[in-house]
Amino acid sequence: MSADPLDLGLRAQAAAIAAGEVDPAELLAAALARIEQRNPALNAIVETFPERSREMLAAAPAGPLHGVPVAIKDEWPLPWRAQRFGAAELTAPTAPAESGPYRALRDAGAVIVGVGNMHELGAGSTGATSYYGPARNPWDPERCPGGSSSGPASSVAARLVAAAVGADGLGSVRFPAAYCGLTGLKPTFGRAAMEGHHMAPTTSLIVSGPLCADAADCRLLGAVLCGEDLPAGDAAGLRIGVVRDAVSEDVTPDVRRACEEAIEALREQTGGEVREIELPDLEPATIAALLIINAESMGGVAPQQLNDLHPELSPVARSSLKYRMLLPATATVQATRVRTLMRRRLAALFDDVDAIAWPTIPAPAPPLEAPVVELPSGPAIADQANIRGAALANLTGIPAISVPVGFSDGLPVALQLQAAWGADSLLLDAAEALERANGRRWVEARPPLAEATPMEA
Amino acid sequence: MQGATRADQFVPAGLAALGIEADEVELATIGALHQLLWPPVLELLALDTGDVEPESRPDLSKAPR
Repeated sequence: MSADPLDLGLRAQAAAIAAGEVDPAELLAAALARIEQRNPALNAIVETFPERSREMLAAAPAGPLHGVPVAIKDEWPLPWRAQRFGAAELTAPTAPAESGPYRALRDAGAVIVGVGNMHELGAGSTGATSYYGPARNPWDPERCPGGSSSGPASSVAARLVAAAVGADGLGSVRFPAAYCGLTGLKPTFGRAAMEGHHMAPTTSLIVSGPLCADAADCRLLGAVLCGEDLPAGDAAGLRIGVVRDAVSEDVTPDVRRACEEAIEALREQTGGEVREIELPDLEPATIAALLIINAESMGGVAPQQLNDLHPELSPVARSSLKYRMLLPATATVQATRVRTLMRRRLAALFDDVDAIAWPTIPAPAPPLEAPVVELPSGPAIADQANIRGAALANLTGIPAISVPVGFSDGLPVALQLQAAWGADSLLLDAAEALERANGRRWVEARPPLAEATPMEA
Repeated sequence: MQGATRADQFVPAGLAALGIEADEVELATIGALHQLLWPPVLELLALDTGDVEPESRPDLSKAPR
């Protein structure tokens, strides 16, 4: 092999191991060494456990990811480690456990090499706040990596690993994928492994999802997480719906241009068509999703608990937890009605279009020190601006994917595609078609610190 | 802004009613959150959903029945 196998994508690493071209023990050692070398500048991986990783490898079955090192978000318990959720304290009890994603990875033969950093309590789209200190964006370490799956995205973009498992409750796979130039899939609700998540019994929004360099790698890891094939097609004749609304228009000129060019390229590549569609009430849908996830996460929390929070919980997290107790139940009931309204509207829309496209993020990664973005409507807190394009998929259960489509001042920008319930494969097909249309230039772009390194002869 | 004026009373009163303590930094942060989130909450409540027949035990993995 001419290149360092760590620089290969997920399926190429798996294929090289299966073909006997790469020794998985050497690959694991190299991954740990690379984490040691590159992670101090990124803070993407918050914990490694070499002995546990070697034990996983020794016991790894001959599955589709046999011997491949991967990372997993600090949202999932492992048999030797409870999740911390990027926080000094959770309001829910946690303990080491075999989570669904852990089992899926183990049974596929993968080797968990580290735990990925995340935005504190999963409550942010930037990754700027974490108990461990923020993860950093490999494209510019002074910029946000995206959240809440910040560490998984940063670690894949920096080629510490070829793939990582995140979770998406309100865009938490798609935002970091977009900020870091990766492909990230939010599967249809209920399709991907969720067991062991501290909110698994109550959530109606959160899913596990893959973050990888490209769509085919997402298909491979997504199939592992879903426990079923996500068969490849060609997305021929794709009918793409576009919405003329703030979600696609109150974005930076570079983002708008890149996404419009990508939509046109996708149309041409698939021989499809672009249709303008009406999808009103996106703003109420966004607050509805927030209210529902709030009720689902705070339902078991007694007010008195909030008077004894861990002192290392950030002031924003402490304040947010307290404020969330004040949101009225009547609004949450109204939110469920809006959920029904949007689900019915989408069901009708998906008779006419196969995918809905708009920018994943309205602006590229903002500075970690001040996560504010400048939009045509004026400056906006990144969290507030980002969520309006992401919440619909979580509220309604539909799958969504973020695909890199260009750069703005050296930072990645991304297009989001959303499809009908169960059409996860179609989204992957469309993402692959888009990659073909642009010659894979965006999925193969690498940040300087992750430039492919030739192996010594 | 009317919502902001109300926040001066609503936030401390609401927290006190629940027995939740908050220091000055937290109160200021909560006030900012309230200004951000309360207007869309009011918009949501004002939305006419009278014609929306609620889904009974919706299966979010599938299209609505």
